[in-house]
Amino acid sequence: MRSRTVLGSIRIVSRLIQATRLNHAIGLTVFMACASGAFTPAIGQTQGQMPAAPFPAAPGQTMRAQASDGVHLGVAACAGSNCHGATEPIAGSSVMQNEFTIWTTRDKHRRAYDVLLDDRAVRMARALGLPDAKSAPVCLDCHADNVPAEERGRQFQLADGVGCEACHGGASTWLGIHISGVSHRDNLAAGLYPTEQPVARAEKCLSCHFGDAGRFVNHRLYGAGHPRLTFELDTFTAIEPAHFVVDRDYVQRKGVITDLQVWSAGQAIALVRRMDALLDPRHNHQGTFPEPALFDCQSCHHVFDSLHAPRPTATGLGPGTVKLNDANAAMLRVAAQRIAPAAATALATHMQELHRATDTDWTLVQREAGAVRRAAVELVPALAGHQFTAQDMRAMADGVIAAALNGGADEYSHAEQTTMALESLVSGMRSAGFLDDGRAQALKTAMSGLYESFANDAVYRPDAFVKALHDFQRMMGR
Amino acid sequence: MRAADEPVSQNSRVRSGIAGGLIAAVLVAAAALFPCGTAKGQAPAADNGIHLGVAACAGNNCHGAVERLKGSSVPQNEYLIWSQKDKHRLAYAALLGERGIRIAKNLGLPDAQNAQICLDCHADNVPQDKRGREFQLTDGVGCEACHGAAVSWLGVHLSGAGHRANLAAGLYPTDQPAARAQKCLSCHFGDDKRFITHQIMGAGHPPMPFELDTYTAIEPAHFVVDQSYVERKGRPNDVQVWAIGQAGDLIHRMDALIDPKNAPKGVNPELVLFDCQSCHHAMNQLQWQPQRGSAGQPPGRLKLYDATAVMLRVIAARVAPDAAKALGDHMAALHQATGQDWAAAQREGQAVRQAASQLVPALAQHDFTRDDMKAMMTGVIDVGLSGDDTDYSAAQQAAMALQSIAAALKAYGYANDDQVKGMAGALGGLFEVVSNDQTYRPEAFVKALADLQKTVPQ
Repeated sequence: MRSRTVLGSIRIVSRLIQATRLNHAIGLTVFMACASGAFTPAIGQTQGQMPAAPFPAAPGQTMRAQASDGVHLGVAACAGSNCHGATEPIAGSSVMQNEFTIWTTRDKHRRAYDVLLDDRAVRMARALGLPDAKSAPVCLDCHADNVPAEERGRQFQLADGVGCEACHGGASTWLGIHISGVSHRDNLAAGLYPTEQPVARAEKCLSCHFGDAGRFVNHRLYGAGHPRLTFELDTFTAIEPAHFVVDRDYVQRKGVITDLQVWSAGQAIALVRRMDALLDPRHNHQGTFPEPALFDCQSCHHVFDSLHAPRPTATGLGPGTVKLNDANAAMLRVAAQRIAPAAATALATHMQELHRATDTDWTLVQREAGAVRRAAVELVPALAGHQFTAQDMRAMADGVIAAALNGGADEYSHAEQTTMALESLVSGMRSAGFLDDGRAQALKTAMSGLYESFANDAVYRPDAFVKALHDFQRMMGR
Repeated sequence: MRAADEPVSQNSRVRSGIAGGLIAAVLVAAAALFPCGTAKGQAPAADNGIHLGVAACAGNNCHGAVERLKGSSVPQNEYLIWSQKDKHRLAYAALLGERGIRIAKNLGLPDAQNAQICLDCHADNVPQDKRGREFQLTDGVGCEACHGAAVSWLGVHLSGAGHRANLAAGLYPTDQPAARAQKCLSCHFGDDKRFITHQIMGAGHPPMPFELDTYTAIEPAHFVVDQSYVERKGRPNDVQVWAIGQAGDLIHRMDALIDPKNAPKGVNPELVLFDCQSCHHAMNQLQWQPQRGSAGQPPGRLKLYDATAVMLRVIAARVAPDAAKALGDHMAALHQATGQDWAAAQREGQAVRQAASQLVPALAQHDFTRDDMKAMMTGVIDVGLSGDDTDYSAAQQAAMALQSIAAALKAYGYANDDQVKGMAGALGGLFEVVSNDQTYRPEAFVKALADLQKTVPQ
């Protein structure tokens, strides 16, 4: 796992500003929030430790209705200077022990609650008719570790934001075993959430960074002022910044987990989540508009002088139609083309049908959404278990670029996902020793150009992105 | 209206921001009776005759004269004004331009100049058997597109029988505000046969703002209200033209909303019925405000275009308060319904349509006094100043409305020269604010309104 440095501005309109390393900073526009621990990993596991619960098919259930993961003790339980609150790595330890320190000094999850007190949150709460944001479940469910009162330990503080147990699970069940120095496997068995496993991590992060049955940033929240959510698992792991280091010890305990496994699991689960949301009756066609948050933001939010030059081959939709956000599907298709070509075809066919259905018939939309979801679910084990070779990565980079040049670049969301995909691919190639320093340096420059070309989502210009993409392509060489 | 010695074609209206948005396009053949009923004069006759072409009107002793011939009841330069200054003349040519080519391509059409969907408003697209020997489609929106097929009335017209006899023979009564609204809006908004859908907009068609009185002035009008005009056609009033234009616009909108063709199919109802900037705004510039005219609507919803309804409500508050209340109530219910239940939206649309239709005869018969004009000016300004509606579309309609009222105050001598000058200056600032939908800022609009408020004659 690489590390990336967050240096960027945080504002949604100018996200990436600079980067000093190959791996780029994209400023987080969003609250970083994985939520309360009461979450059951749902998709089939790849490495055995995960509970093999079926994926939730009916998204009517709320998060809080799901099983408790025990009492949350609060971040203080982890923050001891000889535990995870050390300022320096401690010799002989299996981890760096500065995990709490990284979180508290650099991780935006730490400030997730704080932002509920700022001007934007005050404005949003007023628009939503809430007394305030800091006590509203709709906000707290992702901006804090909002477990029920009876599951909060003595030192638990809601104001800590998205703390340790929001992602790692209620410590009361596993802290004793964990401190006793048993194996990672034993920790997991006791209830520690398997965040190192790409699919489980995707589930956890996306439960807030896209939403799940109980939590969802809908268009009403956006209209009230919530920043646009964007997410890519591997990139966001890096810019969190990650509070783990993949060293020999890590590999021994948790196995080799590559950027590409993380990236592809993130894309597959994101697509599954999107289809769940599309199938959710609450987001349905209530007389008029279905939930706008499921559609491509810039499909509507563009100025008149930047018409979306429609390319009928991309979606089959004519001009003036509102388009579902399909960037995850486009990325997943590239991965599938290399790893499971038949699944790639099924995915593409059903996505095309889904787009077409949005302009004709909502029941057809739901049928096709179900088919897309199935295709994505079937791809998960194939991708998460795949050992990506240099040839795979090269082919996927070419595929991602080709998809963008073949119409994808028209869409802001594609440009964003394309860039994050390329960053993960470059990172993966470098980790695997497939890139020399000179090439890595050249790609770093090209990557900066890509991020800058769409830094402002209010005035996206596809031609600027395409130019930056051609530059990147040249740097990649043959 | 303007003073007799001041041709409307050279009126002092501020044109910035409006002329650019003008899509020259007027109707071909209005067969239907005005659905809300013309209030004075007979309903326009059906236009089934042969269109002779602009050449039939362009003679230099007819409407193509450089100077008015002695004793003529009109200036006789009407054809020249159209041919030199009027964008309707260029409506067909626009189909051949870069944008026309792009739109056709995006719509999957071989080209724009042969596509009925384009020609129906960009030319006088009557059937082949209704085109005379000198008729040219390339003339764009020519004389008979608005005035009706000359074959039926040219003889009577040349005989000097008078305006009434011309109308009886089939000349379209463009002088009557309700008939004019019907004619212009049949393209400038659309009717059951012609309609600019969001598909066409998405393919690259520009937005289509419209306000009858302002657009009459900036066409530019090829008539002059002098003694002869008043004797033959009565004295027009800008405020009345504006008011009836707003009612006509709302009726056309509601017809489109009720039309089953425009109901939701897969995802959305016909998007062109909604406020453009409700969606097309940068995500960092939020549109939703708690005190809006669409209050009661939660954030994040698409909002129906309601700028003309808001104006009509200001008008009705002065002329027919009961109707104003009904209009307000049903518009609020309509907004509510659009996000929930399209059948309810259609029912409310019908009720709004009815309220607007009932207002037309009242507006046509109303004698607009100085106090009416001042009250309406204040009413329009208050909508913005109170924060009730500061959307771009509302600001655009408010600017045109205030322009029309100011023109009426001037024409009727209700404002002295200094007052006229003061209003003109403030209106210039207001049009500046609405000249660009991308750089529009509600705060600037409110400030410009406050400036204008100080110039309203007391």
